[in-house]
Amino acid sequence: MNIKTTVIKFQSIIALFILCVVLALLSDKFLTPENGWNIMRQISINVCISVGMTLVILTRGIDLSVGSILAFSGAVAAGLLKYGIDIPSLNLYIGFTVFGAILGGILVGGGLGLFNGWMITRFKVPPFVATLAMLTIARGATMLWTGGFPITGLGEHFAFIGTGWFLGMPMPVWITIIVVAIAVIVTRSTKFGRYVYAIGGNESAARLSGLNINKIKIWVYALAGILAAVGGIILTSRLDSAQPNAGFSYELDSIAAVVIGGTSLSGGRGSIMGTVQGALIIGVLNSGLVLLNVSPFWQQIIKGFVILIAVILDRVNHPNED
Amino acid sequence: MGRRFFSDVVKFITPIILAMILLGCVRKDGNAPKKIAVVISTLNNPWFVVLGESAAQKARDLGYETTIFDSQNNTAKEAEHFENLIAAGYSAVLFNPTDAEGSVSNVNRAKQAGIPTFCMDREVNSLEGPVTQIISDSFSGCVDLGQYFVRQMNKKGKYVELLGLVGDNNTWNRSKGFHSVVDHFPDLKMVAQQSADFDRNKAMEVLESVLQSNPDIDAVFCGNDAMAMGAYQALVSAGKADSVMVFGFDGTEDVMNAIKNKKIMATAMQSPKFMAQTAAELADKYLKGERNMDRKMPITVEVVTQDNISEFDAYGSEN
Repeated sequence: MNIKTTVIKFQSIIALFILCVVLALLSDKFLTPENGWNIMRQISINVCISVGMTLVILTRGIDLSVGSILAFSGAVAAGLLKYGIDIPSLNLYIGFTVFGAILGGILVGGGLGLFNGWMITRFKVPPFVATLAMLTIARGATMLWTGGFPITGLGEHFAFIGTGWFLGMPMPVWITIIVVAIAVIVTRSTKFGRYVYAIGGNESAARLSGLNINKIKIWVYALAGILAAVGGIILTSRLDSAQPNAGFSYELDSIAAVVIGGTSLSGGRGSIMGTVQGALIIGVLNSGLVLLNVSPFWQQIIKGFVILIAVILDRVNHPNED
Repeated sequence: MGRRFFSDVVKFITPIILAMILLGCVRKDGNAPKKIAVVISTLNNPWFVVLGESAAQKARDLGYETTIFDSQNNTAKEAEHFENLIAAGYSAVLFNPTDAEGSVSNVNRAKQAGIPTFCMDREVNSLEGPVTQIISDSFSGCVDLGQYFVRQMNKKGKYVELLGLVGDNNTWNRSKGFHSVVDHFPDLKMVAQQSADFDRNKAMEVLESVLQSNPDIDAVFCGNDAMAMGAYQALVSAGKADSVMVFGFDGTEDVMNAIKNKKIMATAMQSPKFMAQTAAELADKYLKGERNMDRKMPITVEVVTQDNISEFDAYGSEN
């Protein structure tokens, strides 16, 4: 009994460990510091998005728009930084510093998330539909803003966010650790965090006990938008370029990380650290398969089965949920 | 009162609508401009945006009304566009197909409705359907690029190939053209062949991982320019940008600048502007009665290197 519960509790860590041992045995290049940093840097964007996705899924929602919001926020930040805002009719030109441009991108991401939350609570649009609509709206807005062309040449100050090192660690990893730390504290030790779990566990009970459910939900979707924007800014900075098709299908990677990390799609159960482990498993697998030069056809099949196995394990351990 | 008001409005509006319909019919037979549809496989990539906009611009210059349709890389979406444009009475279609097989039925449907189709860049597997196909010859372009690659590598060394989307015709046309040359040299070893989905970020991440297992590569051959830029960035952060040669394909602005600055070795210039403008001109001639046209017009893909870069503009010259 004790051993069984321990195994269940740490199943993603155990899976991650086994995966790492196998890859280390198959390739002597896997367990190197450089490869470790590569993997950490590569998953940082997915972790940022997935933290927001975890909050959303904990309330029994879903957010399909994160990839598009990521692209739009990144493009807005890049555009503000490179071109500023020019309004010839008022004879007005506003230039942006790196900090201002980043803030602009994050505000846009938060705004779109807020809009998602408003649609879902005020008009009772199901989260799947509301965020599906936002997926195309934000993608279209990205096309409109960029004209279909990448915005490149953003300068070395902006590039520092995605490519720089600080105290021996890459900047994207620092940002991700800070995001994760805040999210862990919020979910574990604040009222807001408990309310998020309460809504996903039993929404009517939460409502009857006097929680302002709409307000909490709006905040959750706004946070998901803000975190997507953070991911978008890291990506834009890493590439030194805001690509109009950036973040395509990132929502799926993110949902996969959340699910592999043991968060229940029916809400109320899961954790931020689980999601981080889920993202690590995906990142390690991605890097390992390339390292072993596995054919691209097989890579997709293998990843699909990993998701299935994770969910089957979860089902076996929690048979009573629908 | 409300109902009375409503019926008054109807009485007032109905003759106007009738008049508009009648006048509309008269105008259409008169001197209203004909409409040309531009159907593009995807606008999610600057190269295709240039293709679409050049075609639309040229058609407008020739006196037609034009609309651009985005098929979003989806053959079903493309079929809807064709249904709509047949219903809306367009006179011709400048067409960049999503799929060589899947798009054939769309072309045939337009043909049955009496609307001629002119393919740009990509072909459909049908000689009878489209009036003409102006095709970018990816295979031969990569043969030329492969020959340049062999010369630059001095016939020996290790290289990595980054493929595009593995389900895409162009990915394999390019890869096969390249290998048809390079595979004849046993000392040129491909140490990894991975897909990066034509995507800049994916290419960077894949090459970062590849460099872990193969730190001593001499070159990277990429199936498009976005991946070449991503690969170059991975090499910069690994401190190998000076010792590893990068080859792309497309001729986008980013890569043309990088070649000028000696960062990237070479790319293959496909000329979207030239292909699009040729298609628009042929459509114009066809609509004015000319029928004598080649079924296929392969457009040469030229290798752009650090030596001849001054002769080229990004996205190809105007015609």
